[in-house]
Amino acid sequence: MPHPILDPTGTTTTAAKPKAPRAHRRHDLKGATVGLLVNTKQNAAPFLDEIGRLLVDQYGARGTIARTKVNFAAPAPEDLVKEMAASCDVIVTGIGDCGSCSASAVADGIVFEAAGLPAAAICSDAFKVTADAMAGLRGAPGYRYATTPHPVAVLTPEQVKQRAATVLDDVAALLTEDE
Amino acid sequence: MTQTPDPEQAQAAIEYCYAQGWSDGLPLVPASQPLVDRFLATTSRSPDEVIGEVEQVGRDCTVYLAAVNAAMAGCLPEYFPVVLAAFDALMRERAARGGGWQSTSGPAPMIVVNGPIRHELAFNTGGGAFGPGFRPNATIPRAIGLIVRNAFGIHPHVLEQATQGLPGRWSICLAENEEESPWPPFAADGGQPEGTSAVSATLLRTCEFVDNRHTPDPEQVLTDIADTISRTGSLIFRDTSAGVVFCPEHAQMLAEAGFSKKGVQEWLMEHCGRTGADLRRVGKNGLRGIGRFADPDTSADDAFSHILPSPRHVPIVVAGARNAAISMVVRIFGEWSGTATAVAPVPAALVRP
Repeated sequence: MPHPILDPTGTTTTAAKPKAPRAHRRHDLKGATVGLLVNTKQNAAPFLDEIGRLLVDQYGARGTIARTKVNFAAPAPEDLVKEMAASCDVIVTGIGDCGSCSASAVADGIVFEAAGLPAAAICSDAFKVTADAMAGLRGAPGYRYATTPHPVAVLTPEQVKQRAATVLDDVAALLTEDE
Repeated sequence: MTQTPDPEQAQAAIEYCYAQGWSDGLPLVPASQPLVDRFLATTSRSPDEVIGEVEQVGRDCTVYLAAVNAAMAGCLPEYFPVVLAAFDALMRERAARGGGWQSTSGPAPMIVVNGPIRHELAFNTGGGAFGPGFRPNATIPRAIGLIVRNAFGIHPHVLEQATQGLPGRWSICLAENEEESPWPPFAADGGQPEGTSAVSATLLRTCEFVDNRHTPDPEQVLTDIADTISRTGSLIFRDTSAGVVFCPEHAQMLAEAGFSKKGVQEWLMEHCGRTGADLRRVGKNGLRGIGRFADPDTSADDAFSHILPSPRHVPIVVAGARNAAISMVVRIFGEWSGTATAVAPVPAALVRP
């Protein structure tokens, strides 16, 4: 009897992943505390700061709490998720602008959704394929996130503000609209 | 006439592997259970033992999956203890456990083999050290690449986002030329006793040759190497790490002039770097945390920034032929763990008669 050719991936018997939960959406952002999860990539901090400022100014959010994720390649650690879930109402995470951190920004969004917080991940448009692949791996195929044109790292402070303003409505919609 | 295997069947099996998406682009050896069993017979480790994981993609690699991928890469079963040691060594690298395989840098593992195993398994320890042409040197790093692709599921254009990658990814496995090196073996720098069969590994961003066969002055040779290490294009953080794979001729010249490895490392640490003005001209003079950025401030133009913080950031290997004075700067992605992994001997109970 001929021998079968062995599978080198170890995935043939893996069952389909359960669908990742999505947090209940707020009607609007009035009075909401916005958690900003910064992934240390160049310009991520000023970009998210400006998003936070605009959500307060234009959408009536109460304020922002910024935290930094030290390991940009991995999803946010559990204690950080717990802390932000306790102190924030919605989460904005990014900026996904590298090979591992774009996928990881989307993974963060999915983790926060499971913790009950509406989340908006922001990635640069050069990394959509890898961000979508990560969403599939995390049981959230088709996960929606906001995109901004690549590159982000070389933008001046003024350009960062313009970019943030451009993506603001998408971020607000991700945090408030049902699927 | 001797009966040869049926090429039509072999071709069909190879095409089957391509169709499953398992290949790195080159033909694979289709793995069968009897072949993989011969790999597993070279180690006392359980086939189910997890030898590495990439947490963010939710995948891990077992001894069994490593054996299947090593078989597909074209390894002989007796190479498997070296594959396992190389993988263990690589998993000590922070970048390899983190996002390195997904990185836009597209880093390549560099595997260095020391000790008697080099000759037992017929590694190339001489000319053409970076390849190609020799089965263990070519197939062991390829096995690592197939593990990343198949066991971890990190495929190009999807979870792997290399912008350009680099020549030699999945094909750099040096067997140190210990016989013509004036210095202790590289594995000794990684904490293994001399004479041990051991593997060291790190990730590279590129290799850059330094051809200097025109001077008898060892400091001129080191100055030439320092110039390559100090190339601004490679500097993205405050600190950098760059190893040197010395050809035997350069290594022997330095040793005769009294340089130990440590002496070479200290010389390079002192001389590698750029002035503030050089860095400003390329937009890398500012520091934000550990990252470089463009800062219009000219006040530090005359200051010299050293870029190599410790001897561990300048690993030194001797490889290649003693036929020309050509050495290689190997640009390290992140930093080397500074450790070597002993190759586990094949357990006596498992050695087939």
